[in-house]
Amino acid sequence: MLKTKSLRLIAALLSLLLLVSLAACGGGGDSAGTTQPPAGTQNPAPAATPAGDTGENSGGSTGGSPVAPITLHILENDTAKAEGYLEALLTAFNAAYADKGIVAVDANMDEFTDLAMNGPYGYGPDVLYQANDQLMQFAEDKHILPLNAEELECWSTTPEEAWEAFRLNLDGNSYLCGVPVNIQEPMLFYREDQMPADWQTKWDKDGNGTPDFFENWCDLYALSKEIHEADSSKFGFMASLNNLYLASPFMLSYGNYIFGEKDGVLDSTDVGFSKGNAVNGLMALRQFAGLMNEGCIDDTITLNRYEKIADGSYFCSVSTPDTYSLFLGNLTNRYVQDGMSQDEASAKAVENLKMIEMPAKMPANGDLSQDSSAVTDWVDTICMGGINGYAISSYTKYREACIEFVNFATSFDMVRTRAEMLGIAPTRSDVAALSGDTADTLFQSLDAGRIYLMPSIKAVDQIWVPSQTLMGDVAKDPFRVQQGDPARYPDKEALQAALEDMDQQIYDAIHTLAG
Amino acid sequence: MNGKPLILQAVQCPSPRVKASMILMGLGQILSREYIKGLLYLASLAAYVGYLAMIGITDIAGFITLGTVEADPWLGTAGDDSIIMMLRGLLAIVLTVGIVLLYRSNLRDILETEQLGLYGGNALPFPEAVRHFLDRKFYIVALALPVIGVMVFNVIPILFMILISFTNYGGNIIPPKLVDWTGLDSFRRVLSLTGIRETFFRILGWNMIWALASTAVNYFGGLGLALLLNKKCFKFKKFWRMFPIIAYAVPGFITLLAFKFLFSYGGPINYYITQAGSSAIGFLDIDAGLKAKLIGLGVNAWISIPTSMLLATGILSNMNESLYEAASIDGASPWQQFKKITLPFVVFSTTPVLITNFIGNFNNFGIFYFLRGGLYMDGYFLASDTDLLINWLYNLSIDNNYYSIGAAVSLIIFIITSVLSLSVYVRSNAYRKEDTYR
Amino acid sequence: MNWRKRMDWLWSHALLIVICFIFFFPVLWLILASFSATGSIYDLSGFFPKAFSLNGYITLFGDTVMYDYPNWLKNTLFVAVCSSILGTTLVILTAYTISRFQFKARKVLMKSTLVLSMFPGFMTMTAVYLLMVNFNLINQLWALILIYAAGAPMGYLTQKGYFDSISASVFEAARLDGASNFRIFRSIALPLSKPIIVYTALTQFAWPWSDFILPNLLLKNKNLWTVAVGLMHLDETQFTRFAAGSIFIAVPIVILYFALSGFLVSGVTAGAAKE
Repeated sequence: MLKTKSLRLIAALLSLLLLVSLAACGGGGDSAGTTQPPAGTQNPAPAATPAGDTGENSGGSTGGSPVAPITLHILENDTAKAEGYLEALLTAFNAAYADKGIVAVDANMDEFTDLAMNGPYGYGPDVLYQANDQLMQFAEDKHILPLNAEELECWSTTPEEAWEAFRLNLDGNSYLCGVPVNIQEPMLFYREDQMPADWQTKWDKDGNGTPDFFENWCDLYALSKEIHEADSSKFGFMASLNNLYLASPFMLSYGNYIFGEKDGVLDSTDVGFSKGNAVNGLMALRQFAGLMNEGCIDDTITLNRYEKIADGSYFCSVSTPDTYSLFLGNLTNRYVQDGMSQDEASAKAVENLKMIEMPAKMPANGDLSQDSSAVTDWVDTICMGGINGYAISSYTKYREACIEFVNFATSFDMVRTRAEMLGIAPTRSDVAALSGDTADTLFQSLDAGRIYLMPSIKAVDQIWVPSQTLMGDVAKDPFRVQQGDPARYPDKEALQAALEDMDQQIYDAIHTLAG
Repeated sequence: MNGKPLILQAVQCPSPRVKASMILMGLGQILSREYIKGLLYLASLAAYVGYLAMIGITDIAGFITLGTVEADPWLGTAGDDSIIMMLRGLLAIVLTVGIVLLYRSNLRDILETEQLGLYGGNALPFPEAVRHFLDRKFYIVALALPVIGVMVFNVIPILFMILISFTNYGGNIIPPKLVDWTGLDSFRRVLSLTGIRETFFRILGWNMIWALASTAVNYFGGLGLALLLNKKCFKFKKFWRMFPIIAYAVPGFITLLAFKFLFSYGGPINYYITQAGSSAIGFLDIDAGLKAKLIGLGVNAWISIPTSMLLATGILSNMNESLYEAASIDGASPWQQFKKITLPFVVFSTTPVLITNFIGNFNNFGIFYFLRGGLYMDGYFLASDTDLLINWLYNLSIDNNYYSIGAAVSLIIFIITSVLSLSVYVRSNAYRKEDTYR
Repeated sequence: MNWRKRMDWLWSHALLIVICFIFFFPVLWLILASFSATGSIYDLSGFFPKAFSLNGYITLFGDTVMYDYPNWLKNTLFVAVCSSILGTTLVILTAYTISRFQFKARKVLMKSTLVLSMFPGFMTMTAVYLLMVNFNLINQLWALILIYAAGAPMGYLTQKGYFDSISASVFEAARLDGASNFRIFRSIALPLSKPIIVYTALTQFAWPWSDFILPNLLLKNKNLWTVAVGLMHLDETQFTRFAAGSIFIAVPIVILYFALSGFLVSGVTAGAAKE
């Protein structure tokens, strides 16, 4: 008998060898089981002052850096890339820093890339531009660096509120982890030629030259009602009411809050959507939903607002300032279709399209159907907003160079270019003063505390789905009644209970499983 | 070989060569003048020892401690990444298991050499032995690569996730913070929190219904379509078959996004409804529970029926026509023919496929994630009434970062589903009779 | 009788037309939307655009600053072709071996593949990501190919059924003639299994072609993205472009199916029928 059985595992042996080599090539590179931030060897600077030794544009690229040019991977947002601002920024920076051997390139990644997942392994960008809530989630786990903000050029011209959005409280210390660039807040977009012809006589009771329906929500409601009743295919104010950000005036104006504070630090165990007179805001939301169509229950309006503003079916809708170019593009297209030349059309669109803040006053009792002149008790509208800014990844190899870049990108010239190309509202007061009304009003709103900045803690992630569910549910109520079904939220008690449930849901999502 | 454990046989064997191989893998083979084989054994032992010395030991130690030094990205200090350490440790353990298996084969090999008296140059020369081995043990050669691939990219990740469920990974404890072994803590939390337990059973119930219903709909839908297309009255069968295939060719997630839009408030279906004067219907909104479930079933059928149609077409074309003729002569109605002839045949042939489809539907993540994501309902802990267990898992583990809880839940689901489908599979004709027919 | 036959003809055709309409209509809608002149879906009246143009396709291939579709298409093609070749090889080997050979671990293998396929896929994604980090395979198209191909043998059941249906006597005869197992596989089994190879190659091609979870996880650099990832990241307002991109990636699969449909049906046939 031939001996064959004994060889049965030669193959297994070979495969084992393969496995060994596989594991070895995976593990052999660096010491086992450690993630070593590449910066570790290069810059042993203390945590609080990694930027300590860099002054104004002085010896940035030194500090033991290799002779080969330093390449920084910059993650900008998609709009900045699409509109060509990123290219302008990179070109300007590379020209200015050519002699110092620093080159900045587009990181070419998803704009919402998860630094916590990619950074530690070396696949993240060096500098990233995102909203404060997103950046600060990374900061909590030290994925982005604290900065010596006072040493940046934009320090003095940027208001404290904006800097606060990037404040991290950790183990009793306080750090600034990002550099503010612009303010985001939901804004009202409308076509000027769609204004009621008689607004000056009929809709300007106080005679201040601003239509009442842009000043208080009662008149906006009244106007919407008039528009919709005159032509049922047309609507006044339209918004996706299930969107906490866009419909924030209804959710945050009545003395409530998202997270409470304890000892000056945000406390995620205290969820306060239901606090104060929050229920009045929800009443108002429910009421306004009745003047819209079912599109307000899901994200339909968020998607079709550009078209519908352009074709006049909606009088006004809300969106963030960085979508201005989308509204403009749609309106321009419409004019081109109507037979205008491209230049004519875009000139006319620019002239006709307006972007303003949402009305500043809401009735304290939440009843929008009142005649505004009869209302004596108003509350200030508070919108949810965010600060977009730059932050530096903790995993960059070139900390000083990154600081140079951020300093450059937040300089007067670059922010001004950004404001011009993207229509954003800068946080730099000097640029804001130059960039026209919108930028300036946003800036002032922030100053006046009428923008509720998205809380800069990780827990904020958990507020979106519960609020989206409840707001959509409440917005659906008028349509339930229209179809002959019973209302789910007929009175304030029901709404209050629902709000408290939502707070509990958010609390559960954050804490129940945290152990 | 007899039934005695290998180790015992080796110990009892008086030959010094066996003893040599027991002490040093491959040594006995070299003494038996099977040099190449012996050296191969020795070399892999050396490779393993080298690996252990260089990284293996640290990896295994890291697996036990899950790290002791916390990294500080700000200071740039290197620390331990618990999760990577766990993975490395797992790799080391898998390798160790491999070397143990190899050691056993070494013992078996040397024992066989002894028993057959093949030592001292009597064995086949190595190249010939290899050739012989490749032929007789073709299955090992052929399966080596697939098995390794599945091991590395399927088994190790699964083992890894199972291990995660015994840690506190997730929530606030994600690298650079250090993760710890916590034993059964995650399971205890899953089973003790009332909200979670209720949600689990509520979703499990719907999940079972969904898996059964959608498997049935897709299966019989495909069968029905194939039967219809099989009718003699159709010409241009290829042309007709094109339509379902076009549906198949559009990637699933695009189909789902398209359907979501079609059924949304701003979508064309509601456009026509409102044009006709009635008020828009919330096909997928918060009140839509049953409607949304049915739409999910329909959309899933739209996506899956084309493939099951193809399969059924194939099977039907294999059937014996004479059976039908005989049945017709006996006066059986078409329905009886279907019940007595077609169905048993088709079901018999496709049980494994049915089981695969059932599992696929049970774990169908995309349908409700795309059609109706972003809702947390009353009475559910971070889930909605259309969510399947897998969607809930996603909410728990990816959206909310509770990796260890998610892993624990998935392990529980995994055990339930595998016991269920394994028992069905083992009882099925396709499995039991597969050896008898040849 | 004749009348009954006619009625039968009539309702069969009516039913079939309705079914084909159901399958085709959403696709037709997507096709129409991809030719919409304005780029948005919200200026369609109901299902149909008001004006048509090729703009969707022109921007899809021409405007590559943000969305480099041609490049993504190239990546997708590379990944799909390679994983199809590798995956098919592995599946066929696995299925053939498990079907033809009796060995101790066989039933264990069969049961464990069934059980393994039940583990929810995305739960292992974290592990796959870390594994690929560990092997330095992030931002590598090869990593995708490796994973797709390695996972392919898990779905060997259909192919095994096909090999089961080939009469054992063919192989026995060759064996008696002294042919080695490898020779039998190469010269007898493979030529006999063209249909199932085609079927496997197609399914192995279609999967990477439309998957977006794995590439999204492993490819960070936009230049390396596949079409599915790119389409998922397309701005919601660019619907026409999205539709054009979707239609365009469906076309190759339809063409492949047509070219190979003859093989396919018989391939599946033999695979599923065992007795």
